Amino acid sequence: MILGPDEVKGNVSRSADVVIIGSGAGGGPIARELAGEGYSVVVLEEGGYFTREDFNINPTESYMRMYRDAAQTITLGIPFILLPLGKTVGGTTTVNSGTALRMLRPILKKWHLTHGLTDITEEELNLIYGHLEEFLFVKRADPEVAGKVATTFMAGAEKLGLSCGWLPRNAKECEGFGSCVFGCPSGSKQSVDVSFVPDAVKSGADIYTRCRADRIKVVGGRAAGVTAYFLDPMTGRPSGQRIEVEARVTVLAAGAIYSPYFLLKQGLANSSGQVGKNLQIHPATQAIALMDEPLGPPKGIPQCCYVDEFKGEGIMLEGGTVPPEIHSLALPFAGRRNASLMTGYPNMGIFGGMVSESDSWGRVVDLHRPGYRPGMLYMLRGRDVGKAKAATVLMAEIWFAAGARKVFTPFAGHYELSGPRDLKRLERSRVRATDIFGMSAYHPLGTCRMGSDPEWSVVRHTCESWDLEDFYICDGSVIPSSPGVNPQLTIMAMAMRCAGFIDDQLSAKT
Amino acid sequence: MKAVSRRQLQELMAAYVGEPEGLPPLDADGQAAFIEEYFEAGAPELKVVFFACNLSLRTLSILLKGRPFSRLDADEQQELLNRIIASRNPLIRGIGVLLGLPLLMSYYRRPEVALPLGFDPKALKEESNLRVVTRDRDLPPKQEGPE
Repeated sequence: MILGPDEVKGNVSRSADVVIIGSGAGGGPIARELAGEGYSVVVLEEGGYFTREDFNINPTESYMRMYRDAAQTITLGIPFILLPLGKTVGGTTTVNSGTALRMLRPILKKWHLTHGLTDITEEELNLIYGHLEEFLFVKRADPEVAGKVATTFMAGAEKLGLSCGWLPRNAKECEGFGSCVFGCPSGSKQSVDVSFVPDAVKSGADIYTRCRADRIKVVGGRAAGVTAYFLDPMTGRPSGQRIEVEARVTVLAAGAIYSPYFLLKQGLANSSGQVGKNLQIHPATQAIALMDEPLGPPKGIPQCCYVDEFKGEGIMLEGGTVPPEIHSLALPFAGRRNASLMTGYPNMGIFGGMVSESDSWGRVVDLHRPGYRPGMLYMLRGRDVGKAKAATVLMAEIWFAAGARKVFTPFAGHYELSGPRDLKRLERSRVRATDIFGMSAYHPLGTCRMGSDPEWSVVRHTCESWDLEDFYICDGSVIPSSPGVNPQLTIMAMAMRCAGFIDDQLSAKT
Repeated sequence: MKAVSRRQLQELMAAYVGEPEGLPPLDADGQAAFIEEYFEAGAPELKVVFFACNLSLRTLSILLKGRPFSRLDADEQQELLNRIIASRNPLIRGIGVLLGLPLLMSYYRRPEVALPLGFDPKALKEESNLRVVTRDRDLPPKQEGPE
């Protein structure tokens, strides 16, 4: 069952084979697999449960209800980077773009060499990826419903002879309502809340929503369960009700920001000193085109195509269209200048470029902020600024090839490009992190990384903690470095592996 | 506690949003209510930062233009805001960017503003409600063949 605070009377005390903190790309698959094997599973999810009826294509409302801090989470450093994090049943998968790519092959080699993760083989991963792709109905975006922004950008990329294509997405019969990151209103996107979670519930798992994990109970060097408290749906503050779950196995799957924060607060599983460190994100930049003819945003699939010509250099272009209220923020102007461009919104297209392999690292720290909020420290290093600029230049070039009249970039001194001359000027300029007007990033990873050396990693390749028995961590935090693409499928693959190891452990002890 | 006074908020809205041609005028009360709600839903620091940015904008106005922001005419306000946003100093630029976040969002989120721009979430939602997507799979038809 999925139980909100209203369905729970008084304090709850119960036991289970497995208790999982978080129901996103890590927790959801583990819950489904283990509940399907007949284990009793309890999931504690801090966010609320929303269904397609709730997804009303209202961006600001979605931000306030389904994202942490109304999507205002930012990294502290230069530049400030907006890092939106989902907070719902299904985690960020409920409000992501639905891109479902396998990790790049050379990255796995890097994991073998740098992190000693030779137990994770390509053959095994491919098997899991194949299974997930079938389960999640992954297929390439349909150009028929992609929308004109995407087809125009792709035409520009093809004109320049760049390697490009339609993104594989976990969406079934998608008709492009332009709203993936605000919750899919048609139920097409196979996010964890509509795929793994219903199966887990059908197999008997109980999911407590608006329930924030407080502490892991440690008894004799092993994790023995979790204590948590419920949150008032209106205020988000503790409601006074508590839940205590005793379990044979405890899984932490609260994401790459909140999992390390949870551990740091409790001082757990950190003999390596690596908890919270090694934060990797995918910083993203954008190029906005003004065309002569209407492009009809945001109908279509917001992120449906890619240009991967420079993926080896850590640059991936993945498109996006956004509603007016977000579009107006991306324009580097205020007042009448912003207003006059916004009246041309129907003729504008936006595309995103992401630094898919970054040299910059950050960390999650406990800054004792009010409420339950970690600090994220992150400095964008020079090479990554260069990649962000290269991505922007490439996008501008593509837009001009597609017939753009003007292109707007986020680099101070180069906000408005009117043609190839301005483009060359941007290309030749030396930009700094401080020059970026506004930057967003996605896919936090690496803050409880897996590895073969207990001094340099937090968990084994199985996702089991080096320090605490019967305790697993499985979400983006264990991914040791960027998979070179959007990571949801890789996180799910690690969760499937992890579920297998937990099953082995539980069945051996039975 | 409000981050800035109603009068100052209205002044900032007018300066940031401009007067988009063919779009409805500001709804000062409605937008102010949304901004309060947005601050409540977010990190508590944002409200403080918004307050500080407003103060900084007014200080910059005196330093750069010699007069308080409220005494500048509309053209001067526009010039000042865009100069701040174009600054290569991230702290100064940050003032312009952060102030703009709730102000622009509060205006363009209004359905009567979004509709003339071609964004009709209500119609999209109604259309999406007609779709029935299940997780059922289409199985290939049974082949008839020799035993």
